[in-house]
Amino acid sequence: MRKMAFLALLAALFALAVPQVFAAGAEKVLTLGVDQEVIGLDPNIVTSFSSHRRVDLLYNKLVRHNENLEIVPDLAADIDIPDNVTYIFNLRKGVKFHNGQEMTADDVVFSLNRILDPKTASPGRSYLTTVKSIDKLSPYSVKVVLTAPLASFLEGLASNNCAIVSKAAVEQYGNLQKVEVGTGPFMLKEWVPDNSMTLVKNPDYFEKGAPYLDKVIFRIIPEQASLLAGVKSGTLDMATINDGSTIMLAKRDPNLVVMQKPGVNVRTFGFNVTHKPFDDERVRQAISLAIDRTEVVTVAEFGMGSPTGPIPVSATQWALPLSKIPYSTPDYAKAKALLAQAGYPNGFTFSIVTANSYEGGLSVAQVIQNQLKKIGVNAELDVVEWGIYIDRWVKRTFDGMVELRGGSSEPDRFLYRMIHSTGGVNNFMFKDAEVDALLDKGRALTKVSDRKPIYDQLQIALATKAPIIFLYAPFETTVLNKSVKGFKQVGNGSLYYLTYAQK
Amino acid sequence: MGRYIVRRLLSLIPVLLGVSIIVFFLVRLIPGSALQMYLGTQVETTPEQMEELKRIFGEDKPVPVLYVEWLGRVVKGDFGYSLRTSREVLPDILARLPLSIEITIFALILALVIGIPMGVLSAIKQHPITDVFIRIAGLLGLSLPQFWLASLMVIAFSNLRGWIPMGNYVSFLAAPFQNLKMLFFPSLAIGIGLAAVIMRYTRNSMLEVMQMDYIRTAKAKGLKKRVVIIRHALRNAILPVITVAGFNTGYLLGGAIVIEEVFALPGMGRLALYAIYQRDYPLIQGIVLLIAAMFVLVNLITDLIYASVDPRIRLDEKAR
Amino acid sequence: MAGTRLKKNIIALTGLGIIAFYVAVIVVSLFWLPFDPVAMDTTHLLEAPSIATGHLFGTDEFGRDILSRIMQGCSVSLIISISATLMGAVIGTLMGIWAGFLGGKWDQWIMRVADILFSFPSLLLAIFIMGILGEKTYNVIFAIGIVYIPQFARVSRGAILTLKGNEFVRAALSNGAGKSYVLFRHLLPNIMMPLIVQISLSLSVAILLESALSFLGLGIQPPYPSWGNMLSSARKFMMLAPWTAIYPGLAISFLVLGFNLLGDGLRDILDPRLRNVK
Repeated sequence: MRKMAFLALLAALFALAVPQVFAAGAEKVLTLGVDQEVIGLDPNIVTSFSSHRRVDLLYNKLVRHNENLEIVPDLAADIDIPDNVTYIFNLRKGVKFHNGQEMTADDVVFSLNRILDPKTASPGRSYLTTVKSIDKLSPYSVKVVLTAPLASFLEGLASNNCAIVSKAAVEQYGNLQKVEVGTGPFMLKEWVPDNSMTLVKNPDYFEKGAPYLDKVIFRIIPEQASLLAGVKSGTLDMATINDGSTIMLAKRDPNLVVMQKPGVNVRTFGFNVTHKPFDDERVRQAISLAIDRTEVVTVAEFGMGSPTGPIPVSATQWALPLSKIPYSTPDYAKAKALLAQAGYPNGFTFSIVTANSYEGGLSVAQVIQNQLKKIGVNAELDVVEWGIYIDRWVKRTFDGMVELRGGSSEPDRFLYRMIHSTGGVNNFMFKDAEVDALLDKGRALTKVSDRKPIYDQLQIALATKAPIIFLYAPFETTVLNKSVKGFKQVGNGSLYYLTYAQK
Repeated sequence: MGRYIVRRLLSLIPVLLGVSIIVFFLVRLIPGSALQMYLGTQVETTPEQMEELKRIFGEDKPVPVLYVEWLGRVVKGDFGYSLRTSREVLPDILARLPLSIEITIFALILALVIGIPMGVLSAIKQHPITDVFIRIAGLLGLSLPQFWLASLMVIAFSNLRGWIPMGNYVSFLAAPFQNLKMLFFPSLAIGIGLAAVIMRYTRNSMLEVMQMDYIRTAKAKGLKKRVVIIRHALRNAILPVITVAGFNTGYLLGGAIVIEEVFALPGMGRLALYAIYQRDYPLIQGIVLLIAAMFVLVNLITDLIYASVDPRIRLDEKAR
Repeated sequence: MAGTRLKKNIIALTGLGIIAFYVAVIVVSLFWLPFDPVAMDTTHLLEAPSIATGHLFGTDEFGRDILSRIMQGCSVSLIISISATLMGAVIGTLMGIWAGFLGGKWDQWIMRVADILFSFPSLLLAIFIMGILGEKTYNVIFAIGIVYIPQFARVSRGAILTLKGNEFVRAALSNGAGKSYVLFRHLLPNIMMPLIVQISLSLSVAILLESALSFLGLGIQPPYPSWGNMLSSARKFMMLAPWTAIYPGLAISFLVLGFNLLGDGLRDILDPRLRNVK
């Protein structure tokens, strides 16, 4: 009798387990491993790199980047630019939000105004600063007029922070941090914070046929090694991995595909130029001459990065080759001479703020510390926890700081806010009339041929004045299982091409 | 007995109050704030935007005022909203409770299964050398850094699909086999250390008990050795072991932070760690308070079990 | 019975032996290290251990010699653990003695503070303290020390309570001896033994706590080596270069084992109930 009960119990447990095996049948599901959870999903509000990755799939913008980082139409089927301050966006017709309502000019006008509204606290606001008026011309066209020409305007609109949201939804829910109402290729089905997020295919997506996947599941796995283990074992189909050693291991596995591309983010080593001795340009130049960018990339990123100047090398239209950028190759004799001229023949001591996370660049800081010894400069590492790192950044309490700057292929969008004296993320306290003038001029012109000479001059000026030492652009890496086809990297981390991925 | 229980329960209140005050103030002393982290280093804001954000993040009033407001809500069961996810704090913490409890129980079972037999063996063995070896082995288990052990496990067994959780945690109710497979190694990593403690207590307790008269009587009566050991000695020796097991359970419930981190398990320890990193004050306050409450409750229960079984202990003196 | 004494002594002696070995390593490291622990050698990154290159335990991701780093980390870990444990022991014991001896309101309030501290998960408490004070070495000592106060308070209080009822104590008190006199002359020496055992065991946990903190990035900061932060950076390279993780882990484990053996052995020697085992 007891034996029967025991067998029955066993059978019951087995029955519970068996369905799991058959469930994974016909549905095309792609499981993606990421190492950071997101705070919220409202595209106009979110700030972190990881949030943008979700927004990539849930919302559309007026324009977006393709796999060559070029601006292509998204929700705006085409754009008329009658003069350099007027843009008329002609919207696609029949695009539906995930709640069934159609996307019209009202939603676009609403979204843009929402981004500009101080109460929204949108990071996208800084991309649209010169907007004077936004008008609906017809149900499917919107006119935007600027107070002054802004070369990076379309580039700014391609940011996820300028995605188009549903007016009705925002009015209903207040904000879209926890609810999702976009037009994107995928829709939010389930979200278990710090664990997983499930997206399902949007059957009414305006691109016929796409997406090909039925489901995309994000899994949060903080450990790089575990991410790789997941892709190897098949529990994950792909993962975004940024740690060099883990990528090396991935490359050794013949069953995995490692996609790499130089990204647009730039690793920087900047100074608070109001702190001695960094108020002296010669000292900054000396340090720039002591740093061997290639060695930094070799040690800190296993060679997976491109040494760069002020404009990331992947912005091929604008970036000057390193050979043309002054103070970018090591010259210890000259560095020591400059230090002596500045009054520090025996070097000096200072501290570098860094954090033990990928963005905080601890390995980079250690290599720099080692390299500076060659010119007699003693760098002490102030290794802080991420929250404190941000605190030091905000309060500008640092001598030197290693950062990872979110970049762009459009130089104005990247550089203006970073080094213009009024720039919102200019934590270097850098004020220089020549640089300001070049930046202001560069953004006001629209033709590439007019702008190029200005930005060439700017890159040289920045390298010479060296408030920031631009080190390298890390590669963007995605590790995929061989069975995943059709995915492409954009070059700014965007996952948009999952729309065309198949298994 | 009843009065004792009530008294102990009442004494919980000042302790928890103390814990809540310490957490509330301490956590705000850590430089950085949730608001700053939210903004990160890539965003610029206007003064109006900052005012609004400060209000949303609860940084617009002096700290004691905020504490009193928070306390007032807590006694009504409202633990507030996470600064990071804007979700209610209490349900999110409680959602993680089953995992922490499960790992604790699993680790405890493993520890008992490994530790008790080792302790018994070590106590009854004739040869001092065997005893020494077993004890050293046991203590080695206590000496291995948990995170090292856990990392080694991930590397060594990562090929065993499904045995190493990799962010695809399923609850016991959803898929029992899968769940048990996934939690085996994490529980083992914790259990090994606990096994050593249990082994030591079992051994000492057995040694003490085996000298008792009734044991010698039983042996003299000619009862088989195994019967003597298991039926008589072990049963009486088990009590201190239960105590120490219960006591350590309290610790484990606090969340095995490092294990959860290495195995990517969504437990309370990791939630607490990330809450601290994110300066998510309501979440930190909620977790620490709950952990402390569980800890003292488990201790109370353990003490009660101990006291009710062993009449020698006077409840007023906590002479441990 | 000689056999059993030997048994206990083996445990304690083994422990002592291990600790002595580490102390010897520390002494040597003050005068000589195979390589400079913080010197980077970018031509020898992540090299496997080999006698030819002189890197007996291999190199880490910056080309630094692991053996030298382990040796230097030894001093760091031991100093921090000993200081922290002593701090906790002194403060905790004083609290416990006061509470136990004076009883009444003192007892209640002191133990209440100890209880509050005790209810905090120790790692979390240490993390908090490090967060507030900043990641300097002396703060690690402070953070770990505070975690220990309640345990020492309890042990010493318990011991005092047991002894308080003793004949000679009551006799001394009734003969007019002052409380402090009784305390220092009679009680303190008798609680020394359980305290020493507790210290030895706490040292083992302190080392683990310090490495856990460094592991989480909150203890000793790079480029200075601590076993914990070595394990932390080694995590990424475990499959590529396992030696970066194995040796520091072994170093920690054996030292902790040493303290555990010592404490365990001492406990055996001092516990009268265990003296007469068949």
